Amino acid sequence: MNQPHEDDVLAQQAKALFDDSVDRLDGASLSRLNRDRHAALAELQSSRLRGRWSMWAPVTGVAAAALVAVIVLRSSPDIGLETQTETVADFEILMEGEDLELIEDLEFYSWLASSELGTSSDVG
Amino acid sequence: MSRMKSYRATAAGVGNGVFAVSCASEPSPGAMALSNERKLNAFLADVERRALRIAQIGIRDRDEAFDLVQDAMIKLVRKYSARPEKEWTPLFYRILQNGVRDWHRRQKVKNRVMVWMGRSSDDDEYDVVAQAPDPGERTPEQHLQTGETMDRLEVAIHALPTRQREAFMLRTFEGLDVAGCATAMGCSEGSVKTHYSRAVHTLRDKLGEYWQ
Repeated sequence: MNQPHEDDVLAQQAKALFDDSVDRLDGASLSRLNRDRHAALAELQSSRLRGRWSMWAPVTGVAAAALVAVIVLRSSPDIGLETQTETVADFEILMEGEDLELIEDLEFYSWLASSELGTSSDVG
Repeated sequence: MSRMKSYRATAAGVGNGVFAVSCASEPSPGAMALSNERKLNAFLADVERRALRIAQIGIRDRDEAFDLVQDAMIKLVRKYSARPEKEWTPLFYRILQNGVRDWHRRQKVKNRVMVWMGRSSDDDEYDVVAQAPDPGERTPEQHLQTGETMDRLEVAIHALPTRQREAFMLRTFEGLDVAGCATAMGCSEGSVKTHYSRAVHTLRDKLGEYWQ
């Protein structure tokens, strides 16, 4: 009948012992916890920076894609209608912005586009 | 005409007033982020020592306990820092308890592999390093201070089934209510009550003589 009271007593005594052990944590432990906490909070700052970058990423992506398009179109003014259509299709893929990795290396894609155009005109 | 003028003046006044109030009352995103970071820092500073002791009792390994607490801090900050402050405690302990459970699973797999390789922990050769006192363990002086009762309590809690151990430590040591425990443990409130009740009965049976 008095079991709930006994349960409470046990919980209270256990809590008192636990709190005592927490209070007795040594300086090295407290120092490490402090260090770990600041390392965790640094994650917050870095994620905030990542957030800022990701906010500008779509704009940067579109600008980069537009730059690629200009480079491609200006580098081959005498290309035919069919090739222009393909170029526009490539440009659309870049403009989708779903995969920003595609536009990370602008020089490479610029070179790739111009070399493909050159090859197709050579063959044709 | 005069009514119209008066209306316009009032509308302009109200408009300016609302604008002024909204500008003054809304903190900038930077200030909000800083405030959130301060709150998180205060929360983690408050909870970290108890979390460490709870992890230590749960796995009986000091260094691993530090790692688990740090992981829990990082995951809370990464995933849940935007959640309301009152949710942080149960979420933090949910992450920590998951870490403790994963640690026990890894230990079981490790032990199975050791047995499969023909070596069990019982017939291992005497390992000087393993038998040496853990430098992180409490010193003899600290042992005396903390007392034998806490050691027995720790051993008894560690021996409880996982869910009972979690329910007892979260309710008794961290002071979470039943709903908070349920969130932290990922189970129903009824299960929390059952696990807690069984844990207390088992501990009373084991430790009864030490509590008189």
